[in-house]
Amino acid sequence: MREKDMNDNQAPKMVFLGMLNLNFIIILYMTIIITVSLFGYAQESTALTFLQQVRSMPIVPWKIPVVVLLLFGSLFLFLFIQTENNLLVFVKIGMEIVVSLSIIYLLNFSYTGILFLILADITRRLPNMKGKFTAIGIICAVYLLTDYNLFSGRYHITSLDTYLVYYRSDVRSIMLALRNILNSLNMLVFIIYTILLMRIQMSEKERILQLNEKLNHANEELQQANRRMEDYSRESIKNAETKERNRLAREIHDTLGHTLTGIITGLDACITLIDMAPEAVKEQLKVIADVARNGMTDVRRSVKALRPDALEKMELEKALVQMMEEMKRASNVEIEYCCTASLTHFNKDEEEIIYRIVQESITNAIRHGKASRILIAISMEYNIINIWVKDNGIGCAHIEKGFGLHHMEERLGMLHGSLNCFVDNGFVLEASIPIRWGEEIN
Amino acid sequence: MWFDFSSLSGKDEVITVGVFSDSYWEVQNGYSYQILEDAIALFEEEHPGVKVRYVSGILKDDYPEWLSEQLILGRAPDVFLLFGENFSDLAEIGALKNLSGLIEADRDFSVEAFYPSALAYGKYDEKQYALPYECAPKLMFVNKTILDAEGIAIPEKDWTWDDFYEICEAVTKDLDGNGTPDQFGAVGYTWSEAFDANGVQLFDEQGSECYLTGDGVREAILFMERLEGLHDGYQVTGRDFDQGRVAFQPMLFSEYRAYKPYPLSIKKYSGFDWGCISMPAGASGDNRSQLDTLMLAMNENTSHVHSSWEFMKLLSADERIQEEIFDYSEGVSVLKKVTESDKALKLLIDSSGENSGFDLQTLSDAVDQAVVVPRFRDYEEAISEVDKAVTDIMAGNANISTQQIIWNRQINTFLKSKEEKR
Repeated sequence: MREKDMNDNQAPKMVFLGMLNLNFIIILYMTIIITVSLFGYAQESTALTFLQQVRSMPIVPWKIPVVVLLLFGSLFLFLFIQTENNLLVFVKIGMEIVVSLSIIYLLNFSYTGILFLILADITRRLPNMKGKFTAIGIICAVYLLTDYNLFSGRYHITSLDTYLVYYRSDVRSIMLALRNILNSLNMLVFIIYTILLMRIQMSEKERILQLNEKLNHANEELQQANRRMEDYSRESIKNAETKERNRLAREIHDTLGHTLTGIITGLDACITLIDMAPEAVKEQLKVIADVARNGMTDVRRSVKALRPDALEKMELEKALVQMMEEMKRASNVEIEYCCTASLTHFNKDEEEIIYRIVQESITNAIRHGKASRILIAISMEYNIINIWVKDNGIGCAHIEKGFGLHHMEERLGMLHGSLNCFVDNGFVLEASIPIRWGEEIN
Repeated sequence: MWFDFSSLSGKDEVITVGVFSDSYWEVQNGYSYQILEDAIALFEEEHPGVKVRYVSGILKDDYPEWLSEQLILGRAPDVFLLFGENFSDLAEIGALKNLSGLIEADRDFSVEAFYPSALAYGKYDEKQYALPYECAPKLMFVNKTILDAEGIAIPEKDWTWDDFYEICEAVTKDLDGNGTPDQFGAVGYTWSEAFDANGVQLFDEQGSECYLTGDGVREAILFMERLEGLHDGYQVTGRDFDQGRVAFQPMLFSEYRAYKPYPLSIKKYSGFDWGCISMPAGASGDNRSQLDTLMLAMNENTSHVHSSWEFMKLLSADERIQEEIFDYSEGVSVLKKVTESDKALKLLIDSSGENSGFDLQTLSDAVDQAVVVPRFRDYEEAISEVDKAVTDIMAGNANISTQQIIWNRQINTFLKSKEEKR
């Protein structure tokens, strides 16, 4: 296919070159006829008769071939100027016309086919040329007007016949016949040239049509993909909604569950104490109120940003300690806390999950394990933070993951962490989270 | 056309002149280059740095062909002599420089100094393409011996066809009594002379139309028939005139002058005395005749316009050179002042050898009032067509007016075909 295209594009170029050569031969031929006849008239003492027949002084014989060849050379150069500039193209074509007319004039209007060469040159640039029709129109007009009979009446131009009289009549007729044959040949080559150009343009159009079809096809496929994309996106939104709902539930469980557990345990204590030490109860109620208040803030925050309020206001370490203090005071549970790792420069989600795991573990230990003592250890091993929580509660024979544990696992899963729980004189929970240090500065 | 390097290199500027070796008037006088040599000497003296060259040895008969060849090959001289019959062709094709601009720009050059008829000879299409160099009017040559013998006075200068016919009738005689006349009135008086005398204009200026149908033409033809009727069918020739048996013969002034200086002519014409008068006036015309003029033209492609013009002026418009025409040539100066000068008269009388009653005013008037023929390319051929026509009309017995119309149409067709052929 490509090779064929190349051949197609090469063919008119070859024909154009052929046309150029043909014109050169014709012009050379006419020049020789005229020049030889002039020298002949001068040599054979028929100069006076000749001058009585001509309409204008002939050009000095040796100058004709020299000037004609120089002009043809410059025409050759003009024809091969490649330019995209519209103005330059017009200047170029203008010069081509001027040079051709000069040659036509020097050859006494005996050959005007050279204008076809310029016409071919314009046709070659046809697809990307503005004002091409003007140019073609001008050349056609020039060609029609350069007819000898039209010009000879107005201007003094000697006809070729006057020069041909020098030759013997049989030679003369052969010469004229040869001129006419060459002239027709030039016309023929021009027609072939235009046909070739037309064919190329037609095949080009066909190719564009094919490409267009392909494009349409691709477009359709693209639209289908787009539709699928939209479906997916809708589903994705639905998924996100479900996820968010789950998260909200988790959040409510985490905050409200925690607070309420603290309040319930505190109130239970108050009931026991109220008769023996009303003063202590008073104190206790104050603590419970604080817990409730904190829980309230937590809920507000959850609604607002779904992040523990303590974490909003203070660093993780402090938030953890405050939370444990509150829990200790509210529930009379002994909480021992040991941290060997630096808890700064975690990402927000990492901070949050650490906080929630500790919070949930304490809640679970108090609510389900009825524990009175809780040990909490946080350590760092390479880039993994380990949280270890053990209580002295009743534990359980078979760990059933409730809402709390389940969500803890989910949260950890999001950060590629892992959760492990087992019973060993109480409930033990081990969680490990890989920390993304690379983003810590952010 | 080419840049003149000689002016840069300090070398002399060289202008070339095209001339022929023998006399334009067909008279070998041995002075062929004399006037030119004198003019060159004068010119080179007055224009230092300019040299004038010419090729010698070209005969008058070969000159038009030689000039044409040089023109075709681009080697034509800057200034060249030009015959009337070649003028129209060369002016038309653009071989000659249009001098009108030079004439207008040159304050030293006076158009009025020339005979208008001579100057008009070098005009084509309203432009001056050539200057007259020397000329010769057609005059009537008279055999005074015959007129004296017959007791007839030499005609006045405003004589007419009637006077002409009367004298011819009177002198036509059979002297030896053999039954045929052996003394005649005129020879060589053709329709051409008759047309000129009767004010006939044969063609328009462009040579596209012929005016053969006019009354002047008819009158001239009728007069010619009457004149020929006197000879009773005998064909009078130039030889009869040479033998002193004819009273009148039209001649160019140059031929008249060549009578005496030419050595062989002494014997040839010694049998009678001769004189020279104006041509007779036709019924509707004046005492006018044609003028033959040798001209000077400039090459259209010369690169020495200024020097060429100066040299042309010297040859054509300078009295010092024009005076020499009476010395070394048989023509007449184209300058009125020179032709009418005492010096010219003295020279003419000297060369005639005796006071032949020659009237210089006759000569000057003949040049001054000469018929100016239209200048177009096919003039010579057209004239030979007219000759055919007139000969045919005179030979036939048909109605002259009808014949005039028929021939006029025919000649117009001929003129048109000539125009279309080019």
